[in-house]
Amino acid sequence: MTFFGREINHKSKALSVIIVLALLALVALPFLIRNEFYLDLLVMIFFWATLAGAWNLLGGFAGQISLGHTAYFGIGAYTSTLLYLNFSISPWIGMFAGAALSILVATVVGYPCFRLSSHFFALATIAFAEVLRLLAAYWRGLTKGGLGLLTPFKPGLAYFMFDNKMAYAYIALAFMLFMVLVSWAIQRSRFGFYLISLREDQDGAESLGVDTHRGKMVALIISVFFTSAMGTFYSQYFQFIDPESCFSISLSIQLPLLSIIGGLGTVLGPVLGAFLLTPIDVLLRGWLGGVFAGLNLIVYGAILIGAVMYFPIGVGGWIKIRWERWLKDKMGSPAISSKPESAITSPQPLKSREVNKADGQILFEVRSLEKHFGGLQAVRNLSFQIKRGEIVGLIGPNGAGKTTIFNLISGFYSADGGEMEFNGHRITGLAPPHKVCRKGIGRTFQIVKPFSNMSVLDNIMVGVFCRLKDPRKSRIEALTMTDFAGLSKHRFSPASSLTIADRKRLELARALATKPDLLLLDEVVAGLTPRETKELMSIIQAISAQGVTILMIEHVMKAVMALSGRIIVIHHGEKIAEGTPAEVGENKAVIDAYLGKGFRRGK
Amino acid sequence: MISIGLTLIFGVLEIINFAHGEFLMLSMYASFWLFQLYGVDPYLSILVILPAFFVIGLAIQRITIQPVLNSPPLNQIFTTIGLSLILQNVALFLFKADYRTVKTSYSDLGLNFVGLIISFPRMIAFILAMGIIAALLIYLKSTYTGMAIRALAQERRASMLMGIDVYKTYRIAFGIGIACVGAAGSILMPIYFVFPTVGSLFVLIAFVVVILGGYNSLIGSLVGGLIIGVIEGFSGFFISPHLKEAVYFVIFIFILLFRPTGLFGRK
Repeated sequence: MTFFGREINHKSKALSVIIVLALLALVALPFLIRNEFYLDLLVMIFFWATLAGAWNLLGGFAGQISLGHTAYFGIGAYTSTLLYLNFSISPWIGMFAGAALSILVATVVGYPCFRLSSHFFALATIAFAEVLRLLAAYWRGLTKGGLGLLTPFKPGLAYFMFDNKMAYAYIALAFMLFMVLVSWAIQRSRFGFYLISLREDQDGAESLGVDTHRGKMVALIISVFFTSAMGTFYSQYFQFIDPESCFSISLSIQLPLLSIIGGLGTVLGPVLGAFLLTPIDVLLRGWLGGVFAGLNLIVYGAILIGAVMYFPIGVGGWIKIRWERWLKDKMGSPAISSKPESAITSPQPLKSREVNKADGQILFEVRSLEKHFGGLQAVRNLSFQIKRGEIVGLIGPNGAGKTTIFNLISGFYSADGGEMEFNGHRITGLAPPHKVCRKGIGRTFQIVKPFSNMSVLDNIMVGVFCRLKDPRKSRIEALTMTDFAGLSKHRFSPASSLTIADRKRLELARALATKPDLLLLDEVVAGLTPRETKELMSIIQAISAQGVTILMIEHVMKAVMALSGRIIVIHHGEKIAEGTPAEVGENKAVIDAYLGKGFRRGK
Repeated sequence: MISIGLTLIFGVLEIINFAHGEFLMLSMYASFWLFQLYGVDPYLSILVILPAFFVIGLAIQRITIQPVLNSPPLNQIFTTIGLSLILQNVALFLFKADYRTVKTSYSDLGLNFVGLIISFPRMIAFILAMGIIAALLIYLKSTYTGMAIRALAQERRASMLMGIDVYKTYRIAFGIGIACVGAAGSILMPIYFVFPTVGSLFVLIAFVVVILGGYNSLIGSLVGGLIIGVIEGFSGFFISPHLKEAVYFVIFIFILLFRPTGLFGRK
């Protein structure tokens, strides 16, 4: 994800040569192979590659592990076959009808299921597929139950039946290439970044304006379309379907298996997986199936366990790493934008989107905000205002409700009472959080939420995408932001390799990349060394100088007192004081509740 | 009981054991062969199977689960799924796909209980299951290891700091979970028949029970089990016995959606 072909010439040349050669080979193969057995194998490889690729869009990119994809496969197979048998509708049309039905079902089922955590999501999808299998077996009037449906053989393009396997091979190949093309396009696009970011950290993604629910739904719909279409292909290729083959759990497991072996979340991974494992599967069945039923599944199980335990990146991931290393050796430097460095470190384009930027106007206002968790009143009758261009500190003892206030503002919690107004718009009840972000409120988290397996630059790009759609422009913008946050050295390192101080910088840069009018900072300097604190403070000052209004929670008094023009003190969810740092420092209630008696003397 | 084993494993290790049903299947086979070859009564075979499955559980945990404990959920899910595939097909290879039952002297015995006829093996099954569950609950409440297991289910790091050997405790929890399912297999054998995929039939019901009761509450599993029993009876009567499983799963999905912590769960 860290590069775009056009920017690196050597790379794109080498890559396009490989792609063209591979394409030629793929197109020639069905034509060259005359042996029925091998041709069948080829059809199966293309078939599985398409299915695994479809699964990978949802499971690999978006990280939603579905173990019920066989449901959509079965719907596709049954819909087209039933339409053909009962109404003589061409399976080609049936394929789209089946896909439409699958998508409808997936939307209805997926919508609530995405709220579940990964283990339960997987369970729910299995259960759903099982329900469909039982229904298909039970509903004998329509599906002939366990007997299955046999389509009488009648070759012809309109019937989606052919007397030679070559035609099937080309159709399957076309599906596979289409699927790869779609995955590739997604990976490069804003949508692809969004999917990976929500896989890495859903809350983090939401805070940067990513509509995570919509992302998952769209990934599901695309994935289901291909799965269902392959169901139709299967029914036309074998001309026989029954509940056991079309709604089988083993199909649901096979898809992730191929993706994992090939490389999860990569474009070509599932294809590689299918090319590696399908022949093994067919051969094992051929050699040993007679004497030893189920051996292929034992081997599959062993490969699966071995792969997730010792080789989780898959063949695709391995090749990618090798490839990048090879390029690095060959070119002597890591892949960096072709733009000269000087062009990147030009002055900040950190302009607010609003035209009206007059300081002193009220930007954000909270009126009698309330929030309780069960019996605990976390925020009580809280009101305050923030003017444009201010830096306001929010302090108070641990458990006073500071982070709760942030979560209320940014839409992670919904308020039980009161109003919030931002830039003239009411934002109370504007959950989910991505909407708040898009209105112009950015936030960081006290416990940082980096997208660990994405590079620093890609992390920031997710933020930039909040305002920009074009990946290339976003990349340039993100590079500027990387420099601004002092992360230039690490731009291509994965976020997981950063130190805590750098993670905090990244968190800040990412939030800033969404171009907020109001930035909420939750303890950005907590846990840093004095030097790191100083550096981060100067970054915050620079942000403020660019006209961004800041509301910060902080326990490091030196930092809040120095940065803030005004401080609000919270205790037990209530505002107990408000004023300039000096006023607050003198306030008796504040000293009793928070600062302690030694504060003034110690200073 | 199957569900209690599952709950224990999930509550403590936070891993859903997709291979749980396969352990049930194995224990049913173990019980079957002990009866067939040595004439050991299925109920007596618990004495052998329970400790044996505990050891098997320890070993499986050490070899397959422990390495992925700190991995993303995807790896955990597929490790147990891989395990399930292997066990199921090894059984298929060794024992073939035939349905097998044991025929004991008391298989068809019924007891007349205030006008209700209760089959003798079912009643024994109920009593034995309750006994083992009670023993387990007492163990968890009163011994050090039991407490360690419960502590671990709450908070892993803190437990580590309290001097609990985390990996050892995980192994024991997994071992007990598997031992439970092992005992369940022996108890089930006189009532039911065994075949290589029998596990998936039961384990999906067990999942429903776990979800229904709350995935970290052992008592919840017990109540969930009773509720499912009632639902089974009603749906078989009012809808259709063939759609019994479909009804479970619909309930299952609904509970997952509307009360993911279950009836007795806490978050």
